[in-house]
Amino acid sequence: MVMLYGRKSQVDYRAKLWACNFCFQRNQFPPAYAGISEVNQPAELMPQFSTVEYVIQRGAQSPLIFLYVVDTCLEEDDLQALKESLQMSLSLLPPDALVGLITFGRMVQVHELSCEGISKSYVFRGTKDLTAKQIQDMLGLTKPAVPVHPARPAQPQEHPSISSRFLQPIHKIDMNLTDLLGELQRDPWPVPQGKRPLRSTGVALSIAVGLLEGTFPNTGARIMLFIGGPPTQGPGMVVGDELKVPIRSWHDIEKDNARFMKKATKHYEMLANRAAANGHCVDIYACALDQTGLLEMKCCTNLTGGHMVMGDSFNTSLFKQTFQRIFSKDFNGNFRMAFGATLEVKTSRELKVAGAIGPCVSLNVKGPCVSENELGVGGTSQWKICGLDPTSTLGIYFEVVNQHNAPIPQGGRGAIQFVTHYQHSSTQRRIRVTTIARNWADAQSQLKHIEAAFDQEAAAVLMARLGVFRAESEEGPDVLRWLDRQLIRLCQKFGQYTKEDPASFRLSDSFSLYPQFMFHLRRSPFLQVFNNSPDESSYYRHHFARQDLTQSLIMIQPILYSYSFHGPPEPVLLDSSSILADRILLMDTFFQIVIYLGETIAQWQKAGYQDMPEYENFKHLLQAPLDDAQEILHTRFPMPRYINTEHGGSQARFLLSKVNPSQTHNNLYAWGQETGAPILTDDVSLQVFMDHLKKLAVSSAC
Amino acid sequence: MAGLYVKPGNKERGWNDPPQFSYGLQTQAGGPKRTPLTKRVAAPQDGSPRVPTSETSPGAPPMGPPPLSSKASRPPFVGSCPPSSMEPTNFPVVESEILLEDVLKPLERALEDCRGHTKKQVCDDISRRLALLQEQWAGGKLSMPVKKRMALLVQELSSHQWDAADDIHRSLMVDHVTEVSQWMVGVKRLIAEKRSLSSEEAANEEKSVATAEQNQTMPGIQHDP
Repeated sequence: MVMLYGRKSQVDYRAKLWACNFCFQRNQFPPAYAGISEVNQPAELMPQFSTVEYVIQRGAQSPLIFLYVVDTCLEEDDLQALKESLQMSLSLLPPDALVGLITFGRMVQVHELSCEGISKSYVFRGTKDLTAKQIQDMLGLTKPAVPVHPARPAQPQEHPSISSRFLQPIHKIDMNLTDLLGELQRDPWPVPQGKRPLRSTGVALSIAVGLLEGTFPNTGARIMLFIGGPPTQGPGMVVGDELKVPIRSWHDIEKDNARFMKKATKHYEMLANRAAANGHCVDIYACALDQTGLLEMKCCTNLTGGHMVMGDSFNTSLFKQTFQRIFSKDFNGNFRMAFGATLEVKTSRELKVAGAIGPCVSLNVKGPCVSENELGVGGTSQWKICGLDPTSTLGIYFEVVNQHNAPIPQGGRGAIQFVTHYQHSSTQRRIRVTTIARNWADAQSQLKHIEAAFDQEAAAVLMARLGVFRAESEEGPDVLRWLDRQLIRLCQKFGQYTKEDPASFRLSDSFSLYPQFMFHLRRSPFLQVFNNSPDESSYYRHHFARQDLTQSLIMIQPILYSYSFHGPPEPVLLDSSSILADRILLMDTFFQIVIYLGETIAQWQKAGYQDMPEYENFKHLLQAPLDDAQEILHTRFPMPRYINTEHGGSQARFLLSKVNPSQTHNNLYAWGQETGAPILTDDVSLQVFMDHLKKLAVSSAC
Repeated sequence: MAGLYVKPGNKERGWNDPPQFSYGLQTQAGGPKRTPLTKRVAAPQDGSPRVPTSETSPGAPPMGPPPLSSKASRPPFVGSCPPSSMEPTNFPVVESEILLEDVLKPLERALEDCRGHTKKQVCDDISRRLALLQEQWAGGKLSMPVKKRMALLVQELSSHQWDAADDIHRSLMVDHVTEVSQWMVGVKRLIAEKRSLSSEEAANEEKSVATAEQNQTMPGIQHDP
């Protein structure tokens, strides 16, 4: 039995007992801790070990399971590239992993994997949805009634051999599966002029979920769905097959003109919840020039912790490398993925859990530490995350509750413990425990202490996640108003100012970046859907809701570095004034890496100075941002777009739309400085935003 | 040894497709970062945009050439040789021809070794794929990097370095999947079968050594003083 306890619990070394800070029970240490004493403390009590991970030795270790669900309505080149990527993945998977294949187009085919050389498959119509039981019956997964002979002992469960027809270990099946993949053809149904191919994604995914439900419930598994266009028939269809009727845009959705959206979303939500209940995660790899229905299908990845990858074609480095990186290994030779996680949060009595935002579902576990106010996925102190990777991050929201309005004792500490059970990629089960304790501080008399301990970066990301969570169900302007109100209240509480005097307003260093983060968040594609398709917005929001702190901040406020002859590369304000003729800029938005050559630099490059030996330092200058960009590209998942542009280039718009437009065509001559490039926009600038903020913060009316 | 290189993305199929890293480069642990790009600049509290440190005269006149490189002024950033640049030429100028026989013979020999231990169907399947490899090689369909790496793979296989051979097979599948996918899975299986055969043989050897020892000294029986 594993002992889990906070750092400040009372320990009796002689009796080998400890008292828990959360439930106040006394517990026995397990036999492995027999040698502890005051001078030989267990790691859990040492302050630098706030996180401890335990490996469970007992219990069966189930193999990793990968079920490929492949759209065959692709162009020849695309299908060939996808087939090769899938064949390649067989070399990257461990030999005892189980793998299966479902292909679909107008019909859905479940392939029976055998080593015998004759490949069989079960074909389903793509128009009719089936229940889990129907699917299992038709695939022969339900065990027949076993007649009991009194003379013979009961036969052991035949379960593994029944299921293994469709999911076989790599070491047995790799050669045959490689051939099977190699022989896959484009969907044979001809597509008439002016029509889209009939793609039965909804039924294909339903069969995949049902197959795993019936064969490996409650085991870590990945359903990997590869699509080259939108679902056009059957349950879950997102658009009809007439090309002249385009797939829904944000405008259509606002005008309630997206006829398939609600039904399709419901279909995929049903599948997502079933998959999550079984601990299975669903990945979507969507490569097409037009939208593929990520808006309707996003719950599949978002509720289960699966990946969402969006590209233009399977025959691109963006897809191929992103896909390869899924199978990347750590320094121990293990995959960087984990399955079937449950996260439990325990708190000391003055704190309650309001909810979590991230790739999880609720386990509906009530208890004394669950708050009645819900933020994100609330009403529970436990969540399930079916697919995890090293950057998976949940935002957890707490509420401070004073019991019967009693003041919190001076010098008291609150404590929180996070317990995550999960299946490691080496198939062991592990438990990771993080325990933290913090001093309570009074908001009236100890404001400076609270300020000094304020983590503005974490706060920005947590607020942003709340804002994006709200944006899924509320109107855009309402979310912005709510975000603004929170910011104004923060400024009112922590700013130094004299009432009604905006010019006196100051924020301490702890908040120096926070208003800027909020400004950029308001303009970000997470809250501004204008200029993005519904699929693109879903894609950006998907990644935002799960990445770690550093990457999330990059998404909110892109990083901008400037390269010049004047010194080493330096960070510069994400502002139009940073765009200068003799600088090269490198911008990282997480989804794109942009290298922008200033006007003079571009002219020098065109003149070919980098090829002349006496101007070798110019060659180095041009190369430096490329090398730095390469370092980012080396590790980021998913692979970002890579944009190499210059002053006046059409691709420069990626940079111009992100920088704060401190100079626009409206105010160019008002500034009196002619540095930087003016941006043609009517967007509010950071200066105007800050001016308004200060006015409202110091006003007695608010 | 897998190559370390970066090639450009597919600009025809994907706008702004990022460059593609070779398997060797991907699996390399990241070294010290050149420039950690993680810092931000706080906006000035009084609202005016910062004046940049460089002097750019307003109404830019036609510019002159960039500043000359001189011995005195080194470039301000440490230019460590990035992997994308040319690899140093350690090889002799004339590359020796890699013979098909040097690669195929050891593979066929390894297959023969496995015949007793592995199912007939699997052996036939592997044999079929080796034939395909031969056909493609002889038909000039395989590129030089593939041939070079196959030669290395065969060397590692012959030296019983299973992990190294496996890694080379993976690097070929990642970097050259179009050329090798049809037959490489046979080579992969051959490595696995040889590995398991070799560990079985080692286990049998250990058992026979143990029984030999047992026959010599009887445990639990006291020698006469």
